[in-house]
Amino acid sequence: MAEAGDEGNPVSEPLDLVRLLLDEVVCVKLRGDRELKGRLHAYDSHCNLVLGEVEETIYVADEEDDDDEIKASRHPLLHSTVSRKSEMLFVRGDSVVLISPQSRAY
Amino acid sequence: MSSFGFDSTRHNPAATGFSQAHNPFAGLSNRDDDGDALEFEDTYDGLGDQLDETDDVFNNDTFGDTSGLTSAPVGKDFDFFGQTAKVANAIEEEHVRFQRQQPASKVVQPAAQTFARIPTEAPVSRYAPQPVAYKPARTGYEKYSQEPVAELQVDAALWGVAPKKQPTPAAAPAPAPAPAQASSSTPAPPGRKMMSLEEVEAQMRAQSKKPAQQATPSPAPQPQIQPQIPHDNGYQFAQPAQPQAAGPADHLRPKEQSFHPGHGHPVTILQRPQSKHTPPAQPLVQQPVTQPALHQRLPQQPSGPAQPVQPTQILQNPNRLSGDAAKFGLHSHPTPPIPGNFPAHPSHRQQGSFSRQPLANHSAQLSQLTEEEKMAYMDQEAKRAKRNHKIFLMSRDNGIMTPQDKNFVTRIQLQQLVSATGNPNEHGTDESLAEDFYYQVHNQIQGGQRQHPSQPLSNFAQTYLYQTGSRQGGLRRHNRGPENHMQRMEQQVQRAVEAAKNKPKNKQLVIEGSLGKISFSNAKTPKPLLNIKRHDSSSEAHRPSSSHRNAHAFHGTDKKGELRSIETIYSTLMKMEDHDRLMPPPPSGDADTEAVQRFVAWSNDAQALNKKLWKALRVHDHPGPDNIHPFIALLSYAKGKKAMQRIFRHSTQEQRTTILTLIVVNLDNLDVVRNAQVTTGEMQLNSAMREKVELFSVAVMSTLFTFMNELDLDLVAGVLGLVCTRNVGLIARSKIGVSMLTMILSRAEIIKHGGGGSEQSWRAWDATYSQFFDLIEPSLPHIFPGTVHSGEDVYVWQLLAAIGIGAGPDQQQRLVLAVKDRVMDTVSLSKTLPQDLASQRLQNVNLFMRSIGLDVELLQ
Repeated sequence: MAEAGDEGNPVSEPLDLVRLLLDEVVCVKLRGDRELKGRLHAYDSHCNLVLGEVEETIYVADEEDDDDEIKASRHPLLHSTVSRKSEMLFVRGDSVVLISPQSRAY
Repeated sequence: MSSFGFDSTRHNPAATGFSQAHNPFAGLSNRDDDGDALEFEDTYDGLGDQLDETDDVFNNDTFGDTSGLTSAPVGKDFDFFGQTAKVANAIEEEHVRFQRQQPASKVVQPAAQTFARIPTEAPVSRYAPQPVAYKPARTGYEKYSQEPVAELQVDAALWGVAPKKQPTPAAAPAPAPAPAQASSSTPAPPGRKMMSLEEVEAQMRAQSKKPAQQATPSPAPQPQIQPQIPHDNGYQFAQPAQPQAAGPADHLRPKEQSFHPGHGHPVTILQRPQSKHTPPAQPLVQQPVTQPALHQRLPQQPSGPAQPVQPTQILQNPNRLSGDAAKFGLHSHPTPPIPGNFPAHPSHRQQGSFSRQPLANHSAQLSQLTEEEKMAYMDQEAKRAKRNHKIFLMSRDNGIMTPQDKNFVTRIQLQQLVSATGNPNEHGTDESLAEDFYYQVHNQIQGGQRQHPSQPLSNFAQTYLYQTGSRQGGLRRHNRGPENHMQRMEQQVQRAVEAAKNKPKNKQLVIEGSLGKISFSNAKTPKPLLNIKRHDSSSEAHRPSSSHRNAHAFHGTDKKGELRSIETIYSTLMKMEDHDRLMPPPPSGDADTEAVQRFVAWSNDAQALNKKLWKALRVHDHPGPDNIHPFIALLSYAKGKKAMQRIFRHSTQEQRTTILTLIVVNLDNLDVVRNAQVTTGEMQLNSAMREKVELFSVAVMSTLFTFMNELDLDLVAGVLGLVCTRNVGLIARSKIGVSMLTMILSRAEIIKHGGGGSEQSWRAWDATYSQFFDLIEPSLPHIFPGTVHSGEDVYVWQLLAAIGIGAGPDQQQRLVLAVKDRVMDTVSLSKTLPQDLASQRLQNVNLFMRSIGLDVELLQ
């Protein structure tokens, strides 16, 4: 760390930490119950992101459509996830809630 | 007077809703009409019953022809203005005529003013019957869509076959009966009787045929051809030097716009009312006096300042002209713009219609002229037409923006300029480059006269100011000249510049007693929302946590630090690449001291950057005994691997050698070696690791290979010696390790083929090789990836071939023994495989077999 310190204080703003995640796989939590996992190619001050090899997970709270009230009360919400993959994604920053590095499992 | 078909004496024309805007003077005119004001209620009762429905036919004349779209609703958006504006030319013409032709205008003017307040129905109804096709969609933009008509009017070809020739009287009215024609030649009858379209047309035709023979109380000859000074007293006063013969050609000269100030006495009185009043009223009311004059008078003054150019009463206030009317308003100003300075005006569009009238009139006179005079006249006429056309072409887009618009835009531009270049000390080249990169690049390509963005500001501003100044001055400020206005603008710019300069240098202001800070911003330095102070030296003291982290940074991997290093490497690399782009041309000789200095400065910078890069690479860091070297750790990141090629490009030979050495020394520490050990079983590497291996061989190995191909034998032997100090078995059981070994060995082989290397070096190499062989021999059976079936062992055969070539007979023997099983397995497998696959496998084996002088064919 001393070496890094020689380059000036490495973290002068929060996004400097995001910078370290460039070209790394990150988890991004979005508004609207969505999560993205992909390689961070680019970002900017608005947290606009460009992600590659993205897997998007959407958490859907399915309400029981049946009119059967009793059934609905027994299972008020059915959670399910929809996931899809994209080669490249541009994420507009205003929907970004959280960016986190993926834990290095391997 | 009213084409609505009902008696206007009983209908209050001033009632709002019937005219476009409330007319404060409507009451007055009403009184003049009827002698007493009628209550609206009184009039309205029974009006519906008494309406003469039969005359509704003429509603089309008023509102445009809707017969084609009978089902379409008429809508509420009657565009009186559009209709009026269409005939604005004629209105102006008539008015000018009226003014000029009346030596006794003093008598008439008061009356004209009074009647000017007749509501807008008058002009609309009066001019609507013109043959100009008019679509019922009243958007208010008709004037724009009608531009092409104006163009037609000026097209010289329309005046006859040869535009340069004097048109015949009959030819003049022929093209597109213009507003001018209709309005001037069809005086409304004294009564309130409606004229049918046929009647109007008939009248027009009749008048165009005998334009000069009208019965005229004031004989009104053609002042432009024949000196008729008495009738043009006011006019002459303004233009004393105007040659008579040049009259027709001159009547379009912009300078004549300034004639008005000399026009008799009513000038000052009339100025405002004139711009207000509705011109068509004049001929109506003053028919006894003005009618005849209308036909005789020459429209010498197409854009005379006295023209009632604002066709609608909504625009009564000349100071709040807007939109389309504003361009006409230009002429209505009592103190016209500097003559000749900006001749381009919408008036040129009007000239098209004006020019026709005089032609018709002149032609009668022309017949009385001598041949010579005729020739001269025609010459003049041709010149005038040419010039007229030219001016028109140039002025096509005139009036799209009002002076206010232009002023507004100019101010915005200036302010942007000022704020963008507010503090000249602040921007270096980089910043300006970042601000508008494309402009800077373009500028450089263009030759870059503008070295400093703020430098030409005054020039630039002045250009704008002079342009708008003369235009603006007259219109906006009555008693101030254009110069004044220009000065005002200049002052404004100066003030803006000063303000920008005086902006507080410190970007924030702390008001006493308040908790917050106020930060200033401009386009260049936006207001910082986060204000995190940067403690350069004291950060360690302030952050015990970071120093704490430092303490155990060397235990395990300091991921954040590694990532940070990589980012530093990348930013440094980018700077270096940018710096390379700025490399000055090498000095031609010692004489060019400036160039030499620049070059020295440049290479100093380059060296500094190189040092920074080298530092970021952390090659010379010494990790603890249990730790991976930080540089090797960098290579475990994909971006670290990808950077290699660029790093090599910006490194010295020595640095490259150091890096190679470092990699070789830590070969068994590379994650792509250590964590990618092959097994002879079926187990495959996980995809992430395979990717890493792939990336490493693409990004790092290729770089090293290129570099290695330039090394001489001593270094290659040294590298192999280094390998021998490491865990060769481990290295050999990874693809990357095997590739590295192959690389080293084949390089030595290539040097041998090339005849390079001294005797001594070769001896050293042989010793190292033997040592290496001894080390790798036990591992040889285990370095094949997967089973025989997987077929991914090409690179191993390549290594074996490289080893085999350099091996002595004894070593070859041992080599064959070590891999004999694999060879036999592959050969037997190939018999079961399809032809092409089999041959491929055998070829791979043959790589090795041939290197030791054998062939798979012998085994079959």
